[in-house]
Amino acid sequence: MGNEEIVLEVKNLIKKFDGLVAVNDLSFKVKKGRIHALIGPNGAGKTTTVNMITGTDPQNEGDILFCGKSILKLPVYSRAKLGIGRTFQNIKLFSSMTVLENLMIGAQCNTNQHILTYLVNLKKAKAEEELLKEKAEVILDFIGMYRYKDEIVSNLAYGRQKMTELGRTLMMDPKLILLDEPAAGLNPSERKTFIDIIWKVFEQDIDIFLIEHNMDVVMNLSHDITVLNFGCKIAEGGSKEIQNNEEVITAYLGEGYRKKMMEKEAGANA
Amino acid sequence: MKKIKSKQYIVMAATFVILALVPIFINNNYYITILNQMVINMLVVFGLNFITGLTGQMNLGTAGIYALGAYTSALLSRNFGISPWLTMIAAVFVGFLIGRGLGYPSLKMRGVYLSLTTLAFSEIVRIFATNLVSITGGTQGVKNIPRFAVGFIQLDSNVKYFYFVLIVTIVLCLLSIKITHSKWGREFRAVKDNVDAIESLGLDIKKIKIRAFTIAAMYGALGGALYAHFNQFITSTSFTTDLSISYVIMLMIGGIGNIFGNIIGAIVITLLPELLRFLGDYYQITYCILVLLCAVFLPNGLISLYGKARHLYEKKSAVKGGE
Repeated sequence: MGNEEIVLEVKNLIKKFDGLVAVNDLSFKVKKGRIHALIGPNGAGKTTTVNMITGTDPQNEGDILFCGKSILKLPVYSRAKLGIGRTFQNIKLFSSMTVLENLMIGAQCNTNQHILTYLVNLKKAKAEEELLKEKAEVILDFIGMYRYKDEIVSNLAYGRQKMTELGRTLMMDPKLILLDEPAAGLNPSERKTFIDIIWKVFEQDIDIFLIEHNMDVVMNLSHDITVLNFGCKIAEGGSKEIQNNEEVITAYLGEGYRKKMMEKEAGANA
Repeated sequence: MKKIKSKQYIVMAATFVILALVPIFINNNYYITILNQMVINMLVVFGLNFITGLTGQMNLGTAGIYALGAYTSALLSRNFGISPWLTMIAAVFVGFLIGRGLGYPSLKMRGVYLSLTTLAFSEIVRIFATNLVSITGGTQGVKNIPRFAVGFIQLDSNVKYFYFVLIVTIVLCLLSIKITHSKWGREFRAVKDNVDAIESLGLDIKKIKIRAFTIAAMYGALGGALYAHFNQFITSTSFTTDLSISYVIMLMIGGIGNIFGNIIGAIVITLLPELLRFLGDYYQITYCILVLLCAVFLPNGLISLYGKARHLYEKKSAVKGGE
């Protein structure tokens, strides 16, 4: 498909929770070499979409293609192994372990020494551990967390925990990273660092799909934007197009962008 | 961190040395029997530590695993005259099969299902052992289980057997430490810490749980086999749910997830009934209250006392330094 290569394609996804339609007939394509954002108000079905892509929440209908192949039938861990990494909205780290250990686990799905090697052939086992450790240290350096490598994760500040989670995902050598609200709970300076890091990650040829509430982050980061409202796609396009789309302004952008318009609309609706 | 750990290993080694010295000072055969039982318990708890301690999945089927290990080794060696060395390996293999066979259906589900299936499994084993009289002897039990020899040394006395079991336990303790600090150990701990994150990292949570459970079953079955050859007599009445629970208590009292804690737990819970014997009728209730108090005030086990004491001491010295 030339330079229009598609990493992830979502086709007519439908997800129902006991009659409540959380995601309705959603389709979009994440193209290679572009950062794709999914935005929408609370309860629009963004996290549900990510959960369907990673496989934690099976969809009711529709198809998901990763690099052209359907991943519907694969369990969560196989999808991850294929190269779909993710971070969580409310950080999910191994909180009693150190930052380094957290990162090391991230790459363990690609290690292949059997446990017996660990008991018998100590040299080989040690080599593998060293490799994991080195890789983790390189990535910690990359995300600017090297100093904290021996800290227990639960003692770290929120922003650093978020960074650790991103680092752990990077350890898997993912092709695509799904970021679920990366900027939530970060202060402006942390947010800026995070955006810089995401750009750096993107430059490593890793595609990024993000869900975000903060419009600054979205406009700063994304090439393509899909807007979701009540589970339906209401708009798609570049950041300029989205900013000027009436429907999007009504449903969502209004909040921060054109408050007055939003109020007018709300008044009209009431 | 590292300092604390190496200190712990020194204390651990010292504990084993002290245990090894006990038979020199005590000749009472009854106490030697308890000592044997204590070290066997330790070994079983090391195994349980993997599934319940590190991985955080409650296993209430230790008695069943222990019983199957005991019966396998006892019956094979007594009825067919196979060397107990081989039958003990067979017992460990049975443990492996239990781990895989029972682990697969029960660990697919989350939550308490593992506890329930293991509990049921344990009871099924006990009921079979009680009722298959022609094979297991029922409540009359299996008698005349042979002891064996290590090289030229016949393990005919309880003291000799104790040293054998102690060495086996030390080896398995080292093995436990090794596994705990390997990538597997890290995965076990990760399951306890955050279930959702594991799968998103490409790791199959079922596999990890089954591994932990299989290791626990292999340790448990070996413990059972060692017990059978020690006691030379086993009966289905000793493999009740009480036994499973007392292993969980050992794990809990000592310190969940900590190997040195396992050692302390096994020692304390094996000795406690003896120490409380003078209470007579009030023994059971005192025992239960002590365990309950421990669970409430020391959820991380006796091992956490050390950390707490250190913390207090450091606080005090910090205050002094401030003045």
